[in-house]
Amino acid sequence: MRSNHWQIIGAALLALALILPMVPLAIWSLAHGWRFPDLLPRAWSLKAWDYALSAPSGVLQSLWITIWIALATTALAALVGVPAGRALGLHDFRGKRLVLLLMIAPALIPAIAIAPGLHGVFLRLGLTGGTGGVILAHLIPTLPYMVLIMAAVFARFDTVHEDQARSLGAAPWQVWRHVTLPAIAPGLLTACLFAFLVSWSQYLLTLAVGSGRVQTLPLLLYSFAAAGRNDVTGAIALIYILPGVLVVALTARQVTGRHPALMAGP
Amino acid sequence: MLRSLVVFLLLTTAAAADTADGEALKAMTWDEIVEQARGGTVNWFMWGGADNINAYVSDYVAAVLKRDHDITLNRVPITDAAEVVNLVLTEKEAGITDSGSVDLIWINGENFRSMKQADLAFCGYTDLLPNNALVNWDNPAIANDFGVPVDGCEVPWNTVQFAFAHDSATLPDPPQDMAALIDWIKANPGRFTYPAPPDFTGSVFVRHVFYHAAGGPDALLGPFDQATFDVVAARTWAILNEIEPFLWRGGATYPTTITQLNELFANGEVAFTFNYDPAQFGIAVQAGIYPDTVRSFGLTDGTIGNTNYTLIPFNSPNKAAAMVVQNVLLSGEAQLEKARTEVWGAAPAIEITRTTPEVQAGFAAIKGHPSVVPSEELARAALPELQADWLVAIEEGWKANVGN
Repeated sequence: MRSNHWQIIGAALLALALILPMVPLAIWSLAHGWRFPDLLPRAWSLKAWDYALSAPSGVLQSLWITIWIALATTALAALVGVPAGRALGLHDFRGKRLVLLLMIAPALIPAIAIAPGLHGVFLRLGLTGGTGGVILAHLIPTLPYMVLIMAAVFARFDTVHEDQARSLGAAPWQVWRHVTLPAIAPGLLTACLFAFLVSWSQYLLTLAVGSGRVQTLPLLLYSFAAAGRNDVTGAIALIYILPGVLVVALTARQVTGRHPALMAGP
Repeated sequence: MLRSLVVFLLLTTAAAADTADGEALKAMTWDEIVEQARGGTVNWFMWGGADNINAYVSDYVAAVLKRDHDITLNRVPITDAAEVVNLVLTEKEAGITDSGSVDLIWINGENFRSMKQADLAFCGYTDLLPNNALVNWDNPAIANDFGVPVDGCEVPWNTVQFAFAHDSATLPDPPQDMAALIDWIKANPGRFTYPAPPDFTGSVFVRHVFYHAAGGPDALLGPFDQATFDVVAARTWAILNEIEPFLWRGGATYPTTITQLNELFANGEVAFTFNYDPAQFGIAVQAGIYPDTVRSFGLTDGTIGNTNYTLIPFNSPNKAAAMVVQNVLLSGEAQLEKARTEVWGAAPAIEITRTTPEVQAGFAAIKGHPSVVPSEELARAALPELQADWLVAIEEGWKANVGN
């Protein structure tokens, strides 16, 4: 019982740490003047929300673009990352460490170092100024997360289950659908979650490759934050945070739930 | 699969080049250009940090363009025009000469100089715009952008003049000239600071001290002169180092952006902020950032004014439509709309006397925001801007001698 109490207190503290930073944002988004030394704003106003939700601000339009880019990036990352992760997780081959290093490199090198060069390459390929190019660019920082997580998942995956299914007459897609996918689902979901959030938070790559024309939420958010408009920044920031929180909330169960097929052990 | 993906990506990014050929446009009449512009899209890259300016462009200007010219205006908010200069430069280096991503930029000063020097601007077409007749090109403050001749490479949009803001509730009688301000700073430790150059606004504050040290701008106009600079700069650094211990946090650190200074002012940590565009004070009061009691003023020894412009990059694929946008921005109606206090409060870049009687009546009827010092009042003591070489030398000198 005692350990249960501590668990609840721990969870509550964790939740508090996650929610507290959002409180000032929420207050700012409704404040009309919030200056030192006032504990709370002198007046409240819906002006910032009015603006953020209005057509000329382009916030809602950006929200859909950002969601579409993050979803497409995640899907493409999974398409590439699952086979790559399987190869790295299940097989030993010459140069595996080098491949791993190259895979992680984009996550280690700061975007500011590669954005200008990448911009030039994308320009020559005619891939700038559109969502397609931005999605491709977002794959660079998202793939390491996808591949590494899937490699770890497949390292614990026992191919015996697939062999059994095949020996019972299952076609390749049936093996994938009924054996492999359920076994890797929690891991895959975690990897997708990372991929989605990494794409969601890109600023420099989007600015460079999108030539400023692909207006994702981080770009809009920054132009107001840099101008000191805390009220509008607060409103856009809350809109910006919501999808991430939603995705985590919806997938949390699946991510932590352990699937029996994974229990075969290494 | 891969091939169809590549095709998809190419399709979504391909830009249709319609009116990229500027030389061909220059040979046309205005009516022909307007016809060419019909159905075009203009990607206008502009500072996006003020909701009312954004709304003026996205609501008013975009609606006029759609209604009268079937042009779609796509406002691209950016943080700093230097980002766009780099973007166009990278495109030029990559050999993109007729399908660039930028059709119009809100620009002036060092960024304009960079674009002109690197041949990134479309030039020599401004006489074609009918509303160009409303611009007084005989005014050197309009014909020169920070001392660099405009040469038909950009079109004026707003004129601004530097002003200080203070809270009349806590400081009813602010100092009226630079000498009095310096005394005030020494008498009120910790209550003043300025953003470190090369911040745009911090840099212009230092230039006011520079003018003060020179005894006025007369000796500083014209091309850069090292001997004059050395004498005046030494006096300037002496003044700035003398007041440094009396600045906010004892001068140990300076704000790096005007946004940080604005925040210090809003929270009452310092007694003054300042801006190149006094309309920003009214905007901040309307947004609740500053108290209603904020007022603004110039200095009796004058404050520096300048003009900001719109510019079409050499590789814009929509030059005809971008020219139509510039013409609409210059119109008496559009200039009047943005001069309205509740819209923006921006001073016009055109001669009001050259507009229609209706527009003139509209300007006469504007009641200014109480927090914004009227531009006529500022104009009584206006100082010219120095050429860009002076600016760079002052910024470098400040870093080496004051901000070290």
